[in-house]
Amino acid sequence: MLVVYPGRCVGCRTCEVACSFAHASNGKPGPSRIRIHPAGPERFVQVTCLQCVNAACAAACPTRALRRNEVTRAIELDERLCVGCGLCEAACPFGHLQFSRELHLPLKCDLCGGNPACAAFCPHGALEWR
Amino acid sequence: MTVTVRINDVEVLAEEGESLLEVALRAGFDIPHLCHHPAVEAIGSCRLCLVELQAAGREELTTSCNVRVEAGMQVITDSPLVRQQRAANLELLLARAPGSARLRALAARHGIQAPRFEPPPSEGIQNCILCELCVRVCAMLGHDALGVLGRGEKKRIGLPFNQPAASCVGCASCAAVCPTECIRVSETPQARTIWGQSFEFAHCRSCGAPMLTERQRQFEIEKNGLPEDSYDTCESCKRQQTSQRFAAITW
Repeated sequence: MLVVYPGRCVGCRTCEVACSFAHASNGKPGPSRIRIHPAGPERFVQVTCLQCVNAACAAACPTRALRRNEVTRAIELDERLCVGCGLCEAACPFGHLQFSRELHLPLKCDLCGGNPACAAFCPHGALEWR
Repeated sequence: MTVTVRINDVEVLAEEGESLLEVALRAGFDIPHLCHHPAVEAIGSCRLCLVELQAAGREELTTSCNVRVEAGMQVITDSPLVRQQRAANLELLLARAPGSARLRALAARHGIQAPRFEPPPSEGIQNCILCELCVRVCAMLGHDALGVLGRGEKKRIGLPFNQPAASCVGCASCAAVCPTECIRVSETPQARTIWGQSFEFAHCRSCGAPMLTERQRQFEIEKNGLPEDSYDTCESCKRQQTSQRFAAITW
């Protein structure tokens, strides 16, 4: 489980960089799945996928391209099944899933297959994998 | 039921009834394919996934995407015959779609630089190989707006009778899955134009950013019985709201 502690976040965005590199393709860093949102003076919130129990993105997907990995509990994207309809982005009530018009694919947190880079690189213990 | 098939003399486990192409790809065999998409039924139209197949007394050169795996199948994915036929099919496809970078790269890998043939001028969209993947995906999504028009050399893909279609919602999934990227989509902040029809975007009620097309939004609301105000906020504004909720809990 990925635990988020907004109170410990200093807004350094190391998690975003770690995510970009963890989701690199074709020799380029990818768009980050985790985002830091300022929430007032020296206050920051890490916004990342909650891997909902009843995930709206997975329910909205017409091809079952978004499915639960029973080991990591992440909702993962099977890129081969995706047809680029964008309904997952529309369905997520939290705005955690962004549809990339450039890649024709949603940007989905996959918990890095069970070792999330954001948590591994957070220097302040504001993201914890346990 | 799990069955065993031999692919290039390697024993591979598969579920009976699975697509042979899917099984071979999963086992790491490189079989070129354009018209296959695991989300829709395979129809073997691009004819690139040819393999030599021996099964239950028959021996044939066949497309693998629309063959269902049976116990004891023996498959060769790469042989002089397979290579020769694949190259011939590639040359024909390349003649139809010389503008496709993906097809050109695939053809070059099979030793084809330029096709010897020239297809008759088509009334349809340029660089379309008539694989009907867009048609199948459109039907699977419940829109069923695209179809095959004309016969013979006049065969082409389009909206029925080449007329604006009420069933098209402008989702552009057809363009996203097209293997030769030949379906033209143009977008402004107001609307998306595809297949000669213009679709107004639904706009975020907070920031006004374009989201799904209004037609696609209405289709989903109706199909799933959702409240009328569903899908009215863009992901960026939804994320902002989420961060505010987290902040309210934290501080």
